[in-house]
Amino acid sequence: MRRLWLPAGFVALIVLIAAAAPLLPLMDPVRQDVANRLVAYLPGSPMGRDEFGRDVMSRLIWGARSSLAVAFASAAIAAVIGTALGLLGGWFRGLAEVLAIRGADVVLCFPPVLLALLVVTLLGPGTGTLILVLSVLYLPGFIRVSFAEVLSARSQDYVEAVRALGARTPRILLRTVLPNIAGPVLVQVSLAVASAVVLESGLSFLGLGVVPPTPSWGLMIRGARATMEQAPMLLLWPCLALTATILAMNLLCDAVRDVADKRGGGGAPKLRLVDRLLPGLFPAPAAPRPLLDVQGLTVEIAVPGGIIRPVEDMSFRLDTGRTLAIVGESGSGKSMAATAIMGLLPPAARVADGVARFDGEDLLRMPEAARRKLRGGAMAMVFQDPMSSLNPVHRVGDQVAEAIRAHRDVPAAKASAEAVGLLKRVGIADPDRRARAYPHELSGGMRQRVMIAMAIANKPRLLIADEPTTALDVTVQAAILDLLADLRREEGMGLVLITHSLGVVAEVAEDVVVMYAAQVVERGPVSQVFANPLHPYTRALLAAVPDGDIEPEGIPGVVPRPDRWPPGCRFAPRCTFATEACETPPPLEEVQGQAVRCVRWRELRA
Amino acid sequence: MSEPLVVAERVEMTFAPRGIFALGKPVRAVAGVDATVARGEALGVVGESGSGKSTLGRVLLGLLAATGGAVRFDGMVLPKPGSAAWRALRARMGIVFQDPFGSLDARRTIGAQVEDGLAIHTSLSAAERRAQLTEMFVRVGLDPQRLDAYPHEFSGGQRQRLGIARALATNPDFLVADEPVSALDVSIQAQVVKLLAELRRDLGLAMLFISHDLPVVRHLCDRVIVMYLGRVMEEGPVAEVFARPLHPYTRALLSATPMLDPARRLTREILPGEPPSPSDPPSGCVFRTRCRHVRPECAETVPPLREFGSLAHRVACIRADEIN
Ligand SMILES: Nc1ncnc2c1ncn2[C@@H]1O[C@H](COP(=O)(O)OP(=O)(O)OP(=O)(O)O)[C@@H](O)[C@H]1O
Ligand code: SF4
Ligand code: SF4
Ligand SMILES: [Mg+2]
Repeated sequence: MRRLWLPAGFVALIVLIAAAAPLLPLMDPVRQDVANRLVAYLPGSPMGRDEFGRDVMSRLIWGARSSLAVAFASAAIAAVIGTALGLLGGWFRGLAEVLAIRGADVVLCFPPVLLALLVVTLLGPGTGTLILVLSVLYLPGFIRVSFAEVLSARSQDYVEAVRALGARTPRILLRTVLPNIAGPVLVQVSLAVASAVVLESGLSFLGLGVVPPTPSWGLMIRGARATMEQAPMLLLWPCLALTATILAMNLLCDAVRDVADKRGGGGAPKLRLVDRLLPGLFPAPAAPRPLLDVQGLTVEIAVPGGIIRPVEDMSFRLDTGRTLAIVGESGSGKSMAATAIMGLLPPAARVADGVARFDGEDLLRMPEAARRKLRGGAMAMVFQDPMSSLNPVHRVGDQVAEAIRAHRDVPAAKASAEAVGLLKRVGIADPDRRARAYPHELSGGMRQRVMIAMAIANKPRLLIADEPTTALDVTVQAAILDLLADLRREEGMGLVLITHSLGVVAEVAEDVVVMYAAQVVERGPVSQVFANPLHPYTRALLAAVPDGDIEPEGIPGVVPRPDRWPPGCRFAPRCTFATEACETPPPLEEVQGQAVRCVRWRELRA
Repeated sequence: MSEPLVVAERVEMTFAPRGIFALGKPVRAVAGVDATVARGEALGVVGESGSGKSTLGRVLLGLLAATGGAVRFDGMVLPKPGSAAWRALRARMGIVFQDPFGSLDARRTIGAQVEDGLAIHTSLSAAERRAQLTEMFVRVGLDPQRLDAYPHEFSGGQRQRLGIARALATNPDFLVADEPVSALDVSIQAQVVKLLAELRRDLGLAMLFISHDLPVVRHLCDRVIVMYLGRVMEEGPVAEVFARPLHPYTRALLSATPMLDPARRLTREILPGEPPSPSDPPSGCVFRTRCRHVRPECAETVPPLREFGSLAHRVACIRADEIN
């Protein structure tokens, strides 16, 4: 909320001054006084007089009235009508879509000045005409933005869910769809207001807008231009007012969007100052170095109640050509660890400690620019939720080609051909035709294949796959796991596989890290850990797998919230073996290539 | 088995191409499916992605109007989507989605979303709705003090519980659970499956359980139908189908299921080729392009579902006798 105050206050101040113009002790903005023309300063005229001897300050403030009225009115009209049209077009498709989108295209074809000339010829110049022209001009932007957003929103399950509950269409549109498209529309509003102020000035400057002698910023700039040599300051004042207003509007809309967005976040990612200044604080690793070496990774999130640590002191190593699985329940911090390594943490989270060396270079302290170069290139990530990672308004083939061109300088045609090849490689039937499909036209399995195609587009050496096959059916899963195994073997790629399927771990991974409540509780070779689990949590997980004849047993309770972690062993509230000894935090102990974090592991093994 | 609640007869669902020029072929997502869900029964639906499982679920719910055949719910033909009768019927059916992230509106509190059904279908006061909401939260294992939180504060398993709470808020008779545990990890999966089993028992809920996880279906459902490209390949009691899969596709499916115990792993049969496009299905047996037992005559007629061995176990393969 606090971010909102400053820009909101500033915009309010500008609007208030403009609105209060008649009440302020200002000189008459149209009274001419030729004797004092172009005077730089007079008592009562701190900004001087213009070419007809009119008071500049008074004209600036009265001018704000017409300039801002035009800008806000036209942006508001365009926003309301445009969003409504986009909403209806995107929701009902068919005729509504044709009218909205084609209508927008027609308007876009007109050069703004030509349109203005046309309307002015028909209606005569004036403020009303100007508002009309500008609203028409900004309409297409709103239609297109809201149309695209609605299109992506309507394919979301949460919209289907409200429909399945029997809600009427207006309720769905107003309560569910509108709030979800509000962000981009607000940004569009800020752009429209800012550019309307500029266009008003431009059109008035050309004599197509506000009619003299009514003051407006555009007319002031027009007048000042003629006398630029004698009185340059005359140009400065309206330009300054224009710039400040536009800036304030942009800031305000950004802040409104952030505040309106309930999905969390806010604040920029931060690296500790010391990490920026002393990137080489940690010694280089001894050869032969692993592909990925994570040591003591700790992630912090500042929440209203304090600081939570969704990942704490996590360590593991991954060698080239091998597969390491990370398993653990919801909220154990697996995804958070993966996104920290990729440098894709949500804005609220930051890496507090640790190193993640990729080929010897610490990913966590690398400048963002360098990391961006690696991401999608030498290291790539496949997400759990392919729909939210694909752009709903672009064809999937183009998105794969875009992934190629983001890292390699290849011609568009070649990238497209390569994209089709990649789609074929990941097992998409009829890749030529499917490349031209939009994400919502594909099944979940195919979308995930597209995501994998994008991830492997630049032959990464490290692939982090966060639940890549979770949403897929088993035959496809088997094929995709085979595909990942092939890629790993053929390209010598290292694979970090985050999964909840212990069956998958058993079949494809060589090493496993079991996480619980932000900590590694057990780690080691899969064959060893699964045959001989040392930690009670690992045992419980194995017992929850439904593939045997015994009724699977869930683990009672849930992972505690990160701000309510038990002081001792974090698994204690759910552990059948918990005793008083478990009230002290157990250390991670290494035994024969296996690591375990439990005070009682020795007794329990017996 | 008790009286049928949902009956689908030769249901077909064809999606016409859309857009102004209507390019492309129609897609037949469900091609003549018979299915029955009895009161209190759980019917599992398994099959490849794009085989029409979710479409079948939505047709049975009446969210999509079938383009062929008929669906009856509690004896009456499903009304036209959008009509007043249809909207009223929503209170008696619920749906739980697969994606715990996309299925909740990120911009509304979870309480408001779970409350929607009550707000639409009942005239309860806000306080009464709150009370029911609290009860429902406890029932699905969520902390009722967090009613005013937003979805992003919850983990996958908790969101799925929210989705279940939302679907069950109006106390429906029939629930379509569309891969509700697929995105969850195993300890939570076992919990949610257990929750669904409990709710089913306590509320006498009939359920269509769509899943790609065969072991889960085996533990939760009474019967299962195996779908491929819009058609039913095999149908029967779960124990029967899993112990004695008759259809070559069911066998491939079972062999692809990852198993913890290396000893129980079947030899993996990776299906050759790719699933054909549902806009252009093969003639005759739709599985024939990937079947290792295929014969020329498989292309001629669509194999009917016929009983094989036990009474309720049915298979759609003309060579079922030879290969079993
Ligand atoms: N933006 C956020 N604000 C506050 N807490 C958050 C945020 N994002 C995640 N968390 C918390 O961080 C913890 C770890 O989340 P993470 O998603 O990494 O777990 P996970 O093991 O990947 O779970 P899942 O299997 O459901 O994806 C959870 O307790 C979660 O509630
Ligand atoms: S330390 Fe105690 S509570 Fe924790 S896992 Fe071991 S036995 Fe259970
Ligand atoms: S009918 Fe023919 S193609 Fe189809 S499953 Fe049987 S053997 Fe295979
Ligand atoms: Mg995750």
